[in-house]
Amino acid sequence: MTNATQLPVKLGLRLLRGPAGAVLGMATIFVVATLAFFAINGREAVSLFQEMVMGAFGDSYSFSETLVKTAPILLTALAVALPARLGLISVGGEGQLYLGALFGTGAVLAAVDQPGWILMPLMLAGAMAGGALWGVIPGLLKTRLGVNETISTLLLNYVGILLVSFVVHGPWKNPNSLGWPATIEFPAGAILPQFFDTRVHMGLVFGIVAAIILHILVTRSRWGLGLQVSRSNPRVGATAGISYERNVLIVMAVGGLLAGLAGIAEASVIQNRLQDGLASGYGMTGFLVAWLAGQHFLRIIPLSVLMGGLLASADSLQLYAQLPKASADILQALLFIIVLAVASLWGRRRDI
Amino acid sequence: MNIQLYNITKRFGDVTANDGISLDIRAGEVVALLGENGAGKSTLMKMLFGLYPPDGGAILINDRETTIESPQKAMSLGIGMVFQQFNLVPALSVLDNLLLAYPKSPFWTFRRLFRTSPRKAVLTYLQELAPGLAPDTLVRDLSVGQRQLLELVKVLNLDAKVLILDEPTSVLPPQEAERLWGLIRKLAEAGRSVVLITHKMQDVMACAHRVVVMRAGRMVQTLDRKQCTESSLVSLMMGDSNQRSAIEVTPREAFANRPPRISIRDLHARHGAQSVENIRLDIAPGEILGVAGVSGNGQHLLADALVGLTPLARGEVIIDGYLLQSASRPPSTSGRVSYIPEQPAVNAVAADLSLTTNVALSHFRHLSFFPAWAPEEQLTRNIIQRYQVRPDNPALAAGQLSGGNLQKLVVGRELEGDKDLIVAAYPTMGLDAGAAHDIYQALFAKANEGAAVLWISEDLDDLMSYAHRIAVLQGGRISGIFDPRECDRLDIGRAMTGEHQPARTQRPPEQKPADPRVRAAS
Repeated sequence: MTNATQLPVKLGLRLLRGPAGAVLGMATIFVVATLAFFAINGREAVSLFQEMVMGAFGDSYSFSETLVKTAPILLTALAVALPARLGLISVGGEGQLYLGALFGTGAVLAAVDQPGWILMPLMLAGAMAGGALWGVIPGLLKTRLGVNETISTLLLNYVGILLVSFVVHGPWKNPNSLGWPATIEFPAGAILPQFFDTRVHMGLVFGIVAAIILHILVTRSRWGLGLQVSRSNPRVGATAGISYERNVLIVMAVGGLLAGLAGIAEASVIQNRLQDGLASGYGMTGFLVAWLAGQHFLRIIPLSVLMGGLLASADSLQLYAQLPKASADILQALLFIIVLAVASLWGRRRDI
Repeated sequence: MNIQLYNITKRFGDVTANDGISLDIRAGEVVALLGENGAGKSTLMKMLFGLYPPDGGAILINDRETTIESPQKAMSLGIGMVFQQFNLVPALSVLDNLLLAYPKSPFWTFRRLFRTSPRKAVLTYLQELAPGLAPDTLVRDLSVGQRQLLELVKVLNLDAKVLILDEPTSVLPPQEAERLWGLIRKLAEAGRSVVLITHKMQDVMACAHRVVVMRAGRMVQTLDRKQCTESSLVSLMMGDSNQRSAIEVTPREAFANRPPRISIRDLHARHGAQSVENIRLDIAPGEILGVAGVSGNGQHLLADALVGLTPLARGEVIIDGYLLQSASRPPSTSGRVSYIPEQPAVNAVAADLSLTTNVALSHFRHLSFFPAWAPEEQLTRNIIQRYQVRPDNPALAAGQLSGGNLQKLVVGRELEGDKDLIVAAYPTMGLDAGAAHDIYQALFAKANEGAAVLWISEDLDDLMSYAHRIAVLQGGRISGIFDPRECDRLDIGRAMTGEHQPARTQRPPEQKPADPRVRAAS
């Protein structure tokens, strides 16, 4: 063998050992697992898989529906990734999303007669305040009482969801809705701007802008450095004058604020009202995306689009293959497990 | 049992830790392996104990070449080692710790059923060496000396014929060290071999039969202890090329009349089971105040309270007339106060961040919102060069450096810039003598510039050579303050163990009340 033929092989092998190989491995295993899942269900695996991809990215309508689902995933993923940069494992995106919707709707209902230029900022401010509140509470519990943030955010999810359920069944219920538990429809001034005649809305822009700003702040600024130091060694951070407690409150509040925006966007644009079953698990999907992206803000953007596509294609699965909607959840879980397993296997190989 | 190490060589990367070392260990003999930190003593013995494979040479046991691939193998051959770091479970009793380390312990722990055999077996040596120590005592209630004894008993229980002790006296107050020397002599008389790894002359003179001097990975000379004097050993150990410049310490008279830079007034603090109480100290600008004491007597807490990492329960700390810490407000750190904590890998650096980042932490408050990294990197390079940190790459994660190199980096970082108070806890721990010398020089130079230095150390010799005053911490209180020119090691040793009377009368060391444990052992 000559060197000339060996070199590309060597280069290829080296690439496969690196992150590119890991991603390729994940993709391959995921495709195979998905095909196997379809086959087990007695469907034409390959054509169904094609259908699924087309259902997510095939034409401009499917892609716009993918982006509609991307926005809340992206925002709730950021709500998880930012606390994770301080070493906190928050699973509270869902509850924060609901609280954002709740407070935002509250603002809308309180100022329903105002013109849009007053109503819209009020609604967004309310949503951010509500989400931030649902982040700060576990933050305070953690810094003051040492309560584990994962448990408290998890439990507060239920409180948030049930609070919304309470108001739409009770005090805020639209009297003309014939018993349907929902608020009145939002006035036109409280509907977030949408693009290209689709349902793609401002929430996506908020998410992308927030991801970029957070990326710059966390990787370049003194504050971000403080987060890195506190996560690595809070004691050393304290010696340098970095307050771990204050940073916990900040990241939980900012994370909650972003998830809150996702909530009000869903209520305003998608549902036009606050009602039960607002988010259909976006908070948890956001959690998965944040971990798949390794808490890297910029990587969260494309992964949110992919995951949005997976959710959007669930509709086509239902339509063409009569598979239950839960299939999307199963595929999501498959993807998550595969990515985590492959990532740690690849990492281990590189250590040796 | 006779052991011969023949032409043993060991390399770590580019560093040759052991270069062709040959050594005999004979039954009934105490061999002192003497050398500075980093001379390669521990490495050599870790190969004999099966922790590292040698890169060259051979180990002969009773004239047969033997490969010792694991500590288990070493122990089955009758070689035991007691490390500097104890490996005991504090929450368990003495007996349980011994059973835990005893290979013939039964799997079940129904004491009543299995009361007789293992219990008796594991306690034999304990009762012989320390008849006063009740087997039901919890290890956390034992003194350092007793813990070390327990480690020794663990090794003896494995039927060890050759005992390797790694720097056993470094953690002991002087009178406990004397007791240990007696014990070592006794073990040798009973036919065991003892290898004593040490850098202290007293250890050698007190109990060795033969001295093997090591320097920079090589064996310099083997001597009969009776042939050698302390000064000849020192020059062998240091080498002629290693003549170092003397460390300059301003005489105390220079600042005797200056007002204190730091006043610690009635300081109380508590953290978990640890506490410090009633600390009153004044440190003048330029003064080096040594803090001696057996580790775990409140040193850590005192340092944390001074620099503002632990709230004070009572009292206050004043710098130049300004309140630095007080019980009436939350603790806060200050850029004018430096802290070199013990175990820098755990307490002083963010292990997964770069050296540059870790250096920048010392002036985090003064970084701009988007920090400029070029000057920080230059500063890091300067520190790396001045203190010879290896490897010398500022982009490396701090966790990739060895403990000694991290120590140098942290010292360099903390001594950078203008400081009012420097709290240094064991700043030279784990460093070779050359690096330790450089660090002392830099630290004391800061004192000469006017900083007050609070220097926590376990090395009484160093404290007595350089500190202006030595305060002894015992049980969280100051049990005595000494002028090193007017006291001897045993005075300080008594204060360390709490035998010291505050209103002390000077009495010669030989008249001290005999410690019953010393008598039992010697």
